[in-house]
Amino acid sequence: MNRYRTYIAAVLVLCVLVGIGLFSSRFVLYLTMRVMILSIFAMGYNILFGRTGLLSFGHAAFYAVGAYGTALCSMHLHTHPLLVILAGAAAAALFAVIIGFFCVRHTEIYFAMLTLAFGMLVFSLMWNWRTVTGGDDGLSGIVRGSISLGFFAIPIMKDSQYYFFVLFCFAVSVLLIHRIYQSPFGLILAGIRENHIRTEFAGLGVKRYRLAAFVVSGTFAGLAGSLGLLLESNVTPFAAHWSHSAEPVLVSLMGGLETFSGPIVGSVLFVVLRELIERFTHNWMLWFGLILLAIIMGFRGGVVGATSVLLKRFSERP
Amino acid sequence: MNPTLLEVRDLNKAFGTVVTARNLNFSLQSGVITSIIGPNGAGKSTLINILTGLIAPDSGEILFHGRDITREPIARRVRWGLCRSFQVANVFGHLSLFENIAIPVLAVTRKATSFLRSTVRDKDVRREVESVLNRIGLLKQSHVRAGALSHGDQRLLEVGIALAAKPSMLFLDEPTAGMNPVERTRILQNIRELSDGGEVTFAIVEHDMDVVFSLSERVIVLHRGQIIGDGTPEQVKASPQVREVYLGEEVAE
Amino acid sequence: MESFVHVCLAGISAGMFIWLVASGLTLIFGVLRVLNFAHGSFYMLGAYLCYTCLRFLGIDFWLGVIVGPLAVCVVGYVMERFLLRRVYDLELPYQLLLTFSMVLIFDELVKIIWGAGSIGSPSVPGLSGSLMIAGRNFPVYNLFIMIVGPLVAVGLWAFLERSWWGKIIRAAASDREMAAAIGVKVPSLYTAVFVIGAWLSAVGGALAVPYVGLLTTGMGEAIIINAFVVVVIGGLGSLKGAFLGALFIGLLSSFGTRYIPTLDMSLTFILMGVVLLWRPQGFFAGVDR
Repeated sequence: MNRYRTYIAAVLVLCVLVGIGLFSSRFVLYLTMRVMILSIFAMGYNILFGRTGLLSFGHAAFYAVGAYGTALCSMHLHTHPLLVILAGAAAAALFAVIIGFFCVRHTEIYFAMLTLAFGMLVFSLMWNWRTVTGGDDGLSGIVRGSISLGFFAIPIMKDSQYYFFVLFCFAVSVLLIHRIYQSPFGLILAGIRENHIRTEFAGLGVKRYRLAAFVVSGTFAGLAGSLGLLLESNVTPFAAHWSHSAEPVLVSLMGGLETFSGPIVGSVLFVVLRELIERFTHNWMLWFGLILLAIIMGFRGGVVGATSVLLKRFSERP
Repeated sequence: MNPTLLEVRDLNKAFGTVVTARNLNFSLQSGVITSIIGPNGAGKSTLINILTGLIAPDSGEILFHGRDITREPIARRVRWGLCRSFQVANVFGHLSLFENIAIPVLAVTRKATSFLRSTVRDKDVRREVESVLNRIGLLKQSHVRAGALSHGDQRLLEVGIALAAKPSMLFLDEPTAGMNPVERTRILQNIRELSDGGEVTFAIVEHDMDVVFSLSERVIVLHRGQIIGDGTPEQVKASPQVREVYLGEEVAE
Repeated sequence: MESFVHVCLAGISAGMFIWLVASGLTLIFGVLRVLNFAHGSFYMLGAYLCYTCLRFLGIDFWLGVIVGPLAVCVVGYVMERFLLRRVYDLELPYQLLLTFSMVLIFDELVKIIWGAGSIGSPSVPGLSGSLMIAGRNFPVYNLFIMIVGPLVAVGLWAFLERSWWGKIIRAAASDREMAAAIGVKVPSLYTAVFVIGAWLSAVGGALAVPYVGLLTTGMGEAIIINAFVVVVIGGLGSLKGAFLGALFIGLLSSFGTRYIPTLDMSLTFILMGVVLLWRPQGFFAGVDR
């Protein structure tokens, strides 16, 4: 029954997204792509935060590594989209292994501090290593090649074409992360969040699982970074900045931490809110902070959490 | 004489000036239910913590199945069959009972790293989890959140999680504390059955002397980090030294 | 040799600012068990408020060093009393996120009030000159900072170890319940400690006005990252660790920029990684207790 409902919801969302791709204006297309990319970023992030209970403040680093990896691969090697995206995600995964190795030795406060510090290390590397990363100008003018598959090639130059590529990646990510949540690995991560000592005493090396969660999470951030780069065609070091790391945190919190759909709902809200607020003021980050503050002080279940509470109350009524 | 399962050699541990283990030497035989007793602060909990890997000893060796495990991490000891339960219910509060038991089952069946298959659809895992839940009498509540259970049931679940890791040696830290008589009977019956079946060797830290003397075949008495009595319940009861520092207090009550 | 001495001196004075921020950070953590991400913002606010005092109210720099941080104390008081206090019972991530949201808010408010660009700051009358040390000029003001830092350390130590208030703070740090049981008003104490911590950081910021030369909205975040590295190295909650750690980081980045400019900031992080591998709990963790 419950699973049935999930399938219907998923098919409905897919239909709406395909509909947007076929019939919408360029602006709506662009916003929807940003929603999907942010969703991948936030869902991946939530594997670490909502599932494993580790609050990272440096996740933008992996987004940025994904973006830079893709850009560099596209500039110096080849522009095949699948190759450059693979390069971006792989680079992010590699960084996540290295940084994660240090960070997962600690939890909670130390973990948050370390991820922030290492995230800013990545930021400073991108800022300083001018010859490779272009310094504060970043890398720009990255073109999208066609996806050639031997016999034929799928062009993704136009936004209306690229949209379906992003949609494909989004769908695959949702499916993958959903499978991870249902899997033994996903259960172990939840166990670590609930009680890491007991998990250790169940015969599981908690650090290794934390590291695995960190890397999986970082890889999705890298994928999001790759897609984001191909959408905007440029990237600056600020992609790795800690204020960007705050985005998936806010998105997850807005949508609801301990729910699967939370980050997706949160992404929609985030992009729409940002678009609206930026029309009236230049100080979007101030509002960002205020929304975060309001959620922490009063609405910790997020939108999905609040809705499900409402629904439950409604259905329990005679 | 039963084969030796766990052997402790010259174990020492001190916290500052407080000595909680002083030159401890003993071994535990397979199939023998052993109780570790002693007045508060005797070093019982510390001893379990050292043996199971939560605390590192200052010096000494721990051998399990003849293998030195003194420096092994907790998780590896558990996978080798050395397991424990906790004094306070230490369960996964937000997870269902099924998931609580599934975590150690996945760990020992080496399925914990699989990340694309569904947990609940794995028939072997399900069978195993259900048999453990059935054993502790909580099968019907399989989908209930552990945090929603009564205190006694949480303690049962706690023991269930430890059992699910298929230990050959299981340390129970005050297994019957906070349980009602029905739950207490169930847990004691479980311990006896498992012990008689030769699957698990139990070592129990307990305050309830009825439980200690009815259940155990061997009693070790600790006092200030030292063993002051070791033998059958009758021998220990008869030891003047033990009576003086420990049972004396009980009798006087 | 000349440059060696100067690089050392520059490192020590830079380290003293990090020390002022890290001391408040570690003090607040020791007692409240909250890691205040907004601590760098207090540093920044201290600097901007001090600057405003001397630029627009026309008062003396030294008065500004007193008034600016006091204003930050009010901000700290409001933040602890009306926001932080309500989340002590929640899970740790929420406390961290609360202070994190304050960083965003403070940073943006500073941009709205003072503008996003950098502001040039005036020099200090009386301390603006330089002294000849080891054959080269060295700013007098930096020497002054090198005296202030250790003075604050000694003062803080005396306050915590010798005074009646310090005893209560230490009691509350080691056992919250016990302190409450013997009649300490723990909530007020928390507020007090948070305000003291905010003050330390703001004093650092105010004193930094003539030192940095340019005020930017990024100065808070730059120093908080360094302060984090310092407390990781020194052990969270340890004042001694924070002092030595800050000195170390100051020297390291000073030598780094001088001799290995390409690595620059990365050097600090490499050091942090090494410390984590070698002694994960920090160099001086537990020394205080």
